[in-house]
Amino acid sequence: MAVNLKKISGGTLSPDGSYRRRMLGWLTGVGLVGSGVFSAISNFVFIKPRTASGQPQRFSIGKPEDFPPGARMALGAQRIVVIREGNRLAAVSTTCTQLGCIVGLSDTGFACPCHGSRFDQDGNVTGGPAPRPLPWYKVSLTPNGEIEVDKDTVIQPGSYLSL
Amino acid sequence: MRLALAIGTFLILLIHGVVFYNQFFQKWERNQIAYFGQARSLAKTDAERAALAERKPAIEQIVVSNFGETRVDRCTTCHIASDDPRFAAKAHPLKTHPYSLELGDTQKNGKWERRHKFAEFGCTVCHDGQGRGLEPKYSHGEDEYWPEPLLGYATQEHWRKDFAPKLKGKAFLEANCVQCHTERGFKSTPTVERGRQLFYASNCYGCHRIQGISEGTIGPDLTEVGRTWKVDYLWARIADPKSVLATSIMPKFRLKDDEVKSLVVFLKSRKGRNFAETEIDRFKVKLTGGEPSKAGPQPVEIKPGEMVQQGEKLVADRACAACHKVGEKDGGVAPDLSFEGLLKGEDWLLEHFKNPRSTMPDSIMPAFRFTEAEFKAMTAYLSGLRTVPVLSTPDATYKAFCLRCHGEKGDGQGPIGQHLDPFPRDLTKSGFMNSKPTERLVASIRSGVPGTSMPAWGKVLDETRAKSLLDYIQETFTKEPRRELKARDLPDRNPVPMSPESMTRGQTTFVNRCAGCHGPKGDGKGVNALDILPRPRNLRNGAFVESVNDRRLFDSILYGVQGTAMPPWIDYGLSTNEVGDLVNFIRGINPKPKGGQHAAAN
Repeated sequence: MAVNLKKISGGTLSPDGSYRRRMLGWLTGVGLVGSGVFSAISNFVFIKPRTASGQPQRFSIGKPEDFPPGARMALGAQRIVVIREGNRLAAVSTTCTQLGCIVGLSDTGFACPCHGSRFDQDGNVTGGPAPRPLPWYKVSLTPNGEIEVDKDTVIQPGSYLSL
Repeated sequence: MRLALAIGTFLILLIHGVVFYNQFFQKWERNQIAYFGQARSLAKTDAERAALAERKPAIEQIVVSNFGETRVDRCTTCHIASDDPRFAAKAHPLKTHPYSLELGDTQKNGKWERRHKFAEFGCTVCHDGQGRGLEPKYSHGEDEYWPEPLLGYATQEHWRKDFAPKLKGKAFLEANCVQCHTERGFKSTPTVERGRQLFYASNCYGCHRIQGISEGTIGPDLTEVGRTWKVDYLWARIADPKSVLATSIMPKFRLKDDEVKSLVVFLKSRKGRNFAETEIDRFKVKLTGGEPSKAGPQPVEIKPGEMVQQGEKLVADRACAACHKVGEKDGGVAPDLSFEGLLKGEDWLLEHFKNPRSTMPDSIMPAFRFTEAEFKAMTAYLSGLRTVPVLSTPDATYKAFCLRCHGEKGDGQGPIGQHLDPFPRDLTKSGFMNSKPTERLVASIRSGVPGTSMPAWGKVLDETRAKSLLDYIQETFTKEPRRELKARDLPDRNPVPMSPESMTRGQTTFVNRCAGCHGPKGDGKGVNALDILPRPRNLRNGAFVESVNDRRLFDSILYGVQGTAMPPWIDYGLSTNEVGDLVNFIRGINPKPKGGQHAAAN
């Protein structure tokens, strides 16, 4: 063993081998601890696997021209209403914050058909059992000139995208 | 020991590190990070930059349920810039999906707008591939087990190396375009249209069936061929049929690469069902079996003065030589037409063209959809082929005229022998050859055998040459010297007059004695037929039955046909009268020839 090591290390190690033993011990330790750390991190990361399911939460809804100024247009499949006022545009959820029914547009804002919750034009609760106002979603312009809604990102009510 | 331990633990650490890196920094993630970086440098506003800085790599997917089964396309996870026009000049995968007028994209104020939005159509509906895959090899369908590799882009490892490079190109995608754009002559799918034309022009429709397009029965049904096979198989099957299936009888068509490509694209588009039709349409087709198509190849206008030239062109264009031999071209499936004018009359040719089975009941030649004028032009051309080949020796004569069917060894196993029904006579069977009088054998050569592929060589070989050819055959193949034939006691005419009662008696005898081989219908397809070579005679072959006289029928039944499975029925107790009934039955089940009387009466 010692002869072999001498050959490998070019004979610079101390003759009794204590330094060599310590170094090997260290290397083994680092290897084991490193592997352990990697495994631990992996386990934590795997708790939330990176998958995607269902329709994408970030999607394009078309060109700004599709929404004339003053329009409040409900998109059923995406469960949002697109509000355009002049040159400003926003997307508000149409999923009732109580039990998840789809709220309809009314003269005063939104009305939920299930339990009669009422919301004003900006989605604030004005009546009924709904606990929270309707969330506003982040809207941006994509490089190809389409409006993109990101339902994963809720923004401050009343913040519009300027076109 | 410690050294080994240290190395071992380090190896484990290394493996952990590699696995960790691969799992958490996958290729698509690195792609997305690269995209965010590049997009940040291209961004015009701070807000845009901030939004990009916030974005984390995530699996992007499009769920599409409008086209058949629900598709989950995660292609945009890697191809994340496909809808970002700023990346038009970049390399894959961070490249804009090209815009083009052919795809229906429109240009307004210098900005392109897509006709097929990715959110609506997904990717695999046009491109094929494995939409859910996140690794290029699998998502592109490059592993051998994925049935739909990216059309015109991905090739699989086991594909033939000489064909694989030809299977690339945008044209292959047209096969998927026509799943919705089913209208004929759709301007963005010229390759499919060309393939459809070729399907007719190369006479594919004669043998293959495609629902609503063709009715051929010899080859496999191609209605769903695009769904069941990949392009490499289709290409190999067309370009080199025997390489895929050694027993295939499909001839090798001499098609250029771009023609094969068009046909492959056309066939790839045949998926049995398409997205343009509704459930009701499909139900209708299921009930009615679909409308049989009357479409044929583009008709050629035949000018009276150029019949022969146009006929020649038609024979060349319509791939006749894929089966037949015409001059230098030899398809290796069907008889030689190089001197057809000497062998067959014009009437026979025209009749055979229109309905091959009217003159030869067991012919495998399909009935092609040509116009009357085209048939006439081709007939005029073929009947004009009257050059007698100059052949000095019987040996050369045999090789030129007989070998193609009767074979090199004279055993009836010639190159095209297996495609003929009845099979060519096995000339090595001395039992047969020596039991027939020389006159009859010479007559078979000179006048042919009606209803079979044996043509009348009378105009090519005179009496002496036919005799010397027969001598050559006797010497070379039959080998046994001829014996003196015993005179047999046979009536020249059927002594039993034709009557319904006689036919009924004949039928009873036939069913009892003959049906095992000749079949209950007399069509030569009895239960024993497959074990017998030569096959039992098809007694519903009108032209043949018409050509043999009563004496020969009596001879064959009473004394048997030596060298075949037909036994001498005189040994089994059939009387002359019973045979007479049988002859009446056989003549009765065949339509009466023109003139109203059977050969017996002449």
